[in-house]
Amino acid sequence: MSLPLFRRSLRSLAVAVAAIAAVMAVYIGMVVYLYDPEVNESLQLMQEAMPELFAAFGMANPSATLCDFLLNYLYGFMFTGLFALMGAYMAQRLAVGPTKDGSLAWLLASPCSRPRLAVTLIAAQVAVVLLTVLLLWASEAAFCEALFPGELDQVALARANLGLAALGLFAASLCFASGFAFQRPSVALWAGAGACILFLLMGLAGTVGEGLEWVASLSPFSLYDAYGLAAGEADAAAGSVGLLGASTALFAAGAAAFCRRDFSL
Amino acid sequence: MGSAIEIRNATKDYGRGRGVFDLSLTVAPGEVVGFLGANGAGKSVTMRMLMGFVRPQSGSARIFGRDCFSQRAEIQKSVGYLPGELAFPGDMTGCSFLRFAASMAAVEGDGFRLGCKRADELAEFFELDPSVPLRSMSKGTRQKVGIVAAFMTKPRLLLLDEPTSGLDLLMQRRFVELVQAEKHRGATIMLSSHLLGEVEGTCDRAVFIRQGRLVCTASAGELTLDGVMGQLYGPQALQRHWGDGRERSAVGARSFEGEEVRS
Repeated sequence: MSLPLFRRSLRSLAVAVAAIAAVMAVYIGMVVYLYDPEVNESLQLMQEAMPELFAAFGMANPSATLCDFLLNYLYGFMFTGLFALMGAYMAQRLAVGPTKDGSLAWLLASPCSRPRLAVTLIAAQVAVVLLTVLLLWASEAAFCEALFPGELDQVALARANLGLAALGLFAASLCFASGFAFQRPSVALWAGAGACILFLLMGLAGTVGEGLEWVASLSPFSLYDAYGLAAGEADAAAGSVGLLGASTALFAAGAAAFCRRDFSL
Repeated sequence: MGSAIEIRNATKDYGRGRGVFDLSLTVAPGEVVGFLGANGAGKSVTMRMLMGFVRPQSGSARIFGRDCFSQRAEIQKSVGYLPGELAFPGDMTGCSFLRFAASMAAVEGDGFRLGCKRADELAEFFELDPSVPLRSMSKGTRQKVGIVAAFMTKPRLLLLDEPTSGLDLLMQRRFVELVQAEKHRGATIMLSSHLLGEVEGTCDRAVFIRQGRLVCTASAGELTLDGVMGQLYGPQALQRHWGDGRERSAVGARSFEGEEVRS
């Protein structure tokens, strides 16, 4: 791995990660603040009255505990969409953008082998995904402890967040692989980003439309089961391991494409 | 002693006559060679092949006996490169970019410090203020940053693609001085250009490429404007004049439209 490139890659992503973390911290604070067993009951009534609307935003499950409440309002649509967006952004900053504007020439003109450059770019993305999950987790823990001391099931939330990291890595690896697999920059960016959006929409369609559950199950994002992970179910853990395996394969495919392809820089 | 650069029957075909075809070229260590060609003649493709950015479909490109694509990282320890189409990361200043380039290029313990020291000297020589964000620099100033990045490691081989593009006359003269100093140091230099003065002032010999094929080699002393023009563009291009240009362009337009309809 090249340390200068690793530091440079983190720095180029830092502003976006800081902005995302700040916005999400505010949002998490608002969601935690909204948690009130009494209000929760009225929200559940609303959910029963308008199940499709709630399901459309990934809030289909009843929430009896603070942890369930967080999973319901954050992990269905918001965090999944966030990591899909982050995957596309990182691919643009580290792969597609430098190829398109020609600044990748400076990396290829350095005495670093292509595999070493690819591993460094992958390491930077893994670090950013893990850091983002940690920041989200820290925000959740801090707000929950400040407003409802001792009420959050930390272990259950930790399991859900580990799965979230696997989901984030999958989205990042998909966008990275597509970023180097295609010669045309617009295709390279949108093949990966488009697939992430499609998987997200498939998941939402499955929860909204009756009889469309099979659509959701076709999406690789469905391997991430936050409720199952929180409950400690083996199937949910296996799904997350599957996402990690797919991420490894996609990162390897992206690195192989980077090492073999021509760059007209 | 082996060649610094050795290209043997290399072909990289991008279709529609673009690319390089059956190109063979040798540059001896310590030699300064001008690589001349018109726009689109294949100069940059050759440079990219030497830098290991693209792989020839047939033939080979070697630097110091090593394959330019598969052994690129090893080769780059002793190569300085200035791209023809300069592009920098938009979020960096000249300083931060040069420090980054020095840290990427540093292969020995002291390499980074020496690279930064040399970069400071070169920046001063070219009257460059690198503290400015790269995106707000003029074309000429960014070219200076590129030149500093290419020369700061004191490489054994310099591949320079249209190096004086955007530089004013004084800076062009300083660039020629720098190339002469590097030549005196023993560096091998391959400099692509379509400017006669640049090649005359710096190179031992000039190699001409036209439509992706090597057409001839001449020593710097043999270069004349008409001779160079003839080799760069071909005798037919030189016979066109403005007087009958309007009639010719009308014919050209018709034939272009005809091609479009056919396609």
